[in-house]
Amino acid sequence: MKNLYAPIRARVTRIEELSENVRLFRFKKDRGRFAKNHGGLTFIPGQFVMAGVWGYGESPIGILSSPYEDSFMEILVRKVGVVTNALHRLNVGDEMTIRGPYGNGFPISSFEGKDVVMVSGGCGIPPIAALIEYIIQKRERFGRVYLLYGAATPEDILARKRLDTWGRHINILLTVDHPSPEWKGHVGLVSEMVKDIEINPLNAVATMCGPGPMMTALERILRPLGISDRRIYVSLERKMQCGIGKCQHCVTGDSYVCIDGPVYNFDEIDKNWD
Amino acid sequence: MIKNYKMEPVIERNSIPSLLKILSSDYSIIAPQERNGEVVFDDLKDPECLVLGYKVTILPPKKYLFPPEEILFTYSGKGVRTPSITSKKLLIFGLSLRDLEAITQLDEIMSTPHPDYFYWKRRSRSILVGVTDESVHAPPGGDLILERMDDELYRAIPLTQAGKKIVKGRFFKKQDILPHKGEGNQVMEELRKLLLDPETLAEAVKWSRAEGHPVWEELGKRCIGCGICTYVCPICHCFSMENSVSLDGSTCTRCRKWDACTLPGFARIAGGYDHHPSQKKRYYNWYYHKFVRGYKEYGKSQCVACGRCQTYCPARIDIEKELLGIVKDYREACG
Repeated sequence: MKNLYAPIRARVTRIEELSENVRLFRFKKDRGRFAKNHGGLTFIPGQFVMAGVWGYGESPIGILSSPYEDSFMEILVRKVGVVTNALHRLNVGDEMTIRGPYGNGFPISSFEGKDVVMVSGGCGIPPIAALIEYIIQKRERFGRVYLLYGAATPEDILARKRLDTWGRHINILLTVDHPSPEWKGHVGLVSEMVKDIEINPLNAVATMCGPGPMMTALERILRPLGISDRRIYVSLERKMQCGIGKCQHCVTGDSYVCIDGPVYNFDEIDKNWD
Repeated sequence: MIKNYKMEPVIERNSIPSLLKILSSDYSIIAPQERNGEVVFDDLKDPECLVLGYKVTILPPKKYLFPPEEILFTYSGKGVRTPSITSKKLLIFGLSLRDLEAITQLDEIMSTPHPDYFYWKRRSRSILVGVTDESVHAPPGGDLILERMDDELYRAIPLTQAGKKIVKGRFFKKQDILPHKGEGNQVMEELRKLLLDPETLAEAVKWSRAEGHPVWEELGKRCIGCGICTYVCPICHCFSMENSVSLDGSTCTRCRKWDACTLPGFARIAGGYDHHPSQKKRYYNWYYHKFVRGYKEYGKSQCVACGRCQTYCPARIDIEKELLGIVKDYREACG
């Protein structure tokens, strides 16, 4: 029997300042590489880790890096509470703590052979980023793939370099609310880009992730595209303490977001009372 | 001629302190005792202080298997250290049938989906002995149950190897036992009946909120959000983590502590968003977990009708009455 509450030591190997309060952390295990699951992945896109700092605690944070990468993992951390503030005080070479990966992740094998529409806003990108990395590796197994990504300003678009790389394999539609003088892309709501999407709604899945615009994405993009609620996957955010289905903080309806989630199809959760 | 009695192991009431005295060489004995006019589980220093035939203890015995606070690990620059749990084996004596049932439920909860290291470190080194005035039909759990026959005599029902070993001791003898009708436990008797049909209870609790039953608005106002009902519950098991660093900064410790889903902030995430923002929602969640989610997970309500939540609620919420009311309204509305 193992003490599942004890984290492992990890070391920060890279920090990128992505916006005023968002940083990307790359970390590796102190010893060895991250274990791979039977599918050859270090985690399933959509899974999360409990990331933390000794003495401060830990928070559930989605993994951003490629699931094929076993020498490091990456997370995006928005400075918002005690743990994330402590993470922001770390420097390259410092120690952090990791437990996981936890949660279900996207049902990736069921996505194969289908068109995929991913909608994201602000710093909701990590689970989607890992999913894109997964899709790109097996690109021929998927149909048409779209990423719709909206941000307040061009500076708020995270991971610009990655978007350029992904753009060679999938269709990326970017939009901002407040353009800078150099911005040549779309301005306005993500939903205005629906007309540029060509998919077969009867053979398509969708994912949405991000702070505010989930309902908007659902009402104005995914339902108008004709994708059924059961094929629209969302990633939920909840308070978590244990990450393994015991402590009761992350409940929604009849399920625990830490083990039954964080990814649900929309039909599963839209009638939950909480 | 039909033989309507059988030879069974029995122990005399007077022999129980001596039995415990002998067992105390192998086990730390926990048993119900009187403290300031109430009965509580505590270390049994003097077997003569044992109280049997009590109604209910303030805190349930879960505190010995899942303590109110415990260290999960300490970390110094060298690595993570899990505290070892190597104290003497535990013998919890004098458990009611309902508390035994609650521990059986906790065993299941603490095994799913992964075994809880700390709970099982304690649980696997513990022996549970129930003592009851009620007739034992289907033993709800434990290693041994002593069923009171009369003021002098208890029938021993061993349920595990450990229980059988105790019964082999010199204080037990075999005796013909006549069929015996024990006293009922009067606590929450109506709720007890309701728990036999957990599906209806689940449907009713779910229905009551979906249909906007006024009971939740009212209870949300009456509940003061103190968390007592969860602390005294023999099955409630939610917890929070607390981190601390030694003064010289050389070690840090993570401790888990009992939490309560009725307390403000239980479902609040960093940045301030609260998934259960009102007392009404938090109080409903307590019922929802026990009677709806718990039922879906394990096929039974996470309640044994021990009566503690009702006895110690400072807002005097009559939980049994409220549940009976909800089920009655549900049956009337949904036939």
